[in-house]
Amino acid sequence: MANTTNLDNTQLQQNHQINEHATHSTDTTAHSDNQAHAEEGNVMIKILSEHLLDHNSYDFYGVFHFDLPIIFYDNGFHFYANKKAMEAEGTFKEIHHEFVKADTGNPPQLNLSITSLVMFQWIAMLLLFFGFWTAAKKYKKNPEKAPSGLQNLIETLAIYVRDEIVRPNVTSESLANRLTPYFISLFFFILTMNLMGLIPGGHSPTGNLAVTAGLAITAYFVINGSSILHQGFGHWIKEFTGGAPWGIWFIMIPIEILSMFTKPFALTVRLFANMTAGHAVILSLVGLIFLLQTLVVVPIVTGFTLFIYSLELLVAFIQAYVFTMLTAVFVGLAQGHGEHSTEHH
Amino acid sequence: MDPKAFAFLAAGIGVGLSVIGAGIGIGKLAAAALEAAGRQPEATGKLQTMMIISAALIEGVALIAEIFSLLFVIL
Repeated sequence: MANTTNLDNTQLQQNHQINEHATHSTDTTAHSDNQAHAEEGNVMIKILSEHLLDHNSYDFYGVFHFDLPIIFYDNGFHFYANKKAMEAEGTFKEIHHEFVKADTGNPPQLNLSITSLVMFQWIAMLLLFFGFWTAAKKYKKNPEKAPSGLQNLIETLAIYVRDEIVRPNVTSESLANRLTPYFISLFFFILTMNLMGLIPGGHSPTGNLAVTAGLAITAYFVINGSSILHQGFGHWIKEFTGGAPWGIWFIMIPIEILSMFTKPFALTVRLFANMTAGHAVILSLVGLIFLLQTLVVVPIVTGFTLFIYSLELLVAFIQAYVFTMLTAVFVGLAQGHGEHSTEHH
Repeated sequence: MDPKAFAFLAAGIGVGLSVIGAGIGIGKLAAAALEAAGRQPEATGKLQTMMIISAALIEGVALIAEIFSLLFVIL
C-alpha cells in the first residue's frame, strides 16, 4: 500500500512539472484520492481482523450487534456487562485494543472475558449436547429400530471414529474402549467448530491459537496420562530411552523429551493454520473486488471463492479427522514402544 | 529501501519456498501411494489412511513456515 502511494506521488509530481497549469485544487483531489485508497486498505484489514480475531462483542453484518461481558481477575474478580460499563466504572480502560488498569497502565492479571470465540465454543457445545441427547433418547425409546435422521449421521461418524481411528491405533483393547468417548467428543467438537466458520455470521474458534492450543494440551495429557495409567510410571520413564542401547541415551533422551512437546505444538499449529488460511484466502479474494473497483473481476473472484469454499468444507472434515487421528496415533505410539521393548528384553 | 519492505519481501519468499517444499513432498507422497494402490488395489483403504497422516505431517511443517512468514509481516 505504501509503495503504491509513493508511486502515485512521484507520478503526481511529474504531472505537476509537465503540466504547468496544474492548480492547487487538482493536487488536493489527488491527495484525497490517495487517502481514500489507504482507507480502503484499512477497511479490508478491519474486515479481516473482524472475521479472524477475538472480540468483546458480536456483530452480525451490522444488522444486529451485542456486547459480551468482560471478566478480569486482578486481586479479586471484576465483572462488567460490556466495554462501556467497564470504562464508566474507571478501574480499567482500553488503550490500543488492549485492556489496562487506569492507574498503573498494567494489564489485568487474568483476562477471563467471555469473547465472541468463547461464545461460539459454547454454541458448539450446546449443539453437540442437544444433538447427542436427541440421538441417545431415540436409542432408549426403541433400541431395535434402525437409526434414522440425525441419529444415523451421529452413529455413522461415531462408529467411524471408533473403528477406523481409535481401534487400529490404540492397540490395547481396554484402553481403546476407555478412550473412545474422548476421541468421539474431540472429533465432533473440532468438526462443529470448523463448520461454524463457514456459516454466514459465524466464526470458527479453531482459527484461534488459544483454542487449538487448549485442545492440544488436553491431547498431551491424554497421550502421557494414558501411557502412565496403563503401563505404569516406570515404563513411562523408560520410554525416554526409546529402547536404544545406553551408549546413545545422551542423544535419545533429549530427543524423546523434545518430541513429547513438539507433538502437541504441531497439532496446535496445523489446525490453527489450516482454518485461518482458508478464511484469509476467501476474504482476500472478495477484497480484490473492492480494491480493484471493477466489475470485470467479479465472476472470476466468485468462481474462485466458491472453489475455495468447497475446499474449506473438505478441510473442515479432514482437519477434524487429522487431529483425532494423530492424537490416536500418538497414544498408540506411547503404548507401542513399551510393549515392543519388553518383548525383546 | 524501507525495512518494512524487506519484511514483506522475506515473508513472500518464505511462503513461496515453503509451498515449493510442501508441494514436492505431497506430490511424491501421492505418486508413491497411487503406485502402491495400483499394484495392490485391496490395500487402498489402509494406504489412504497412511497417506493422509503423512500428508498432514508434511503440511504441518509447511504451515509452521507460513505462520512464521505471517509473523514477519505482522510484527
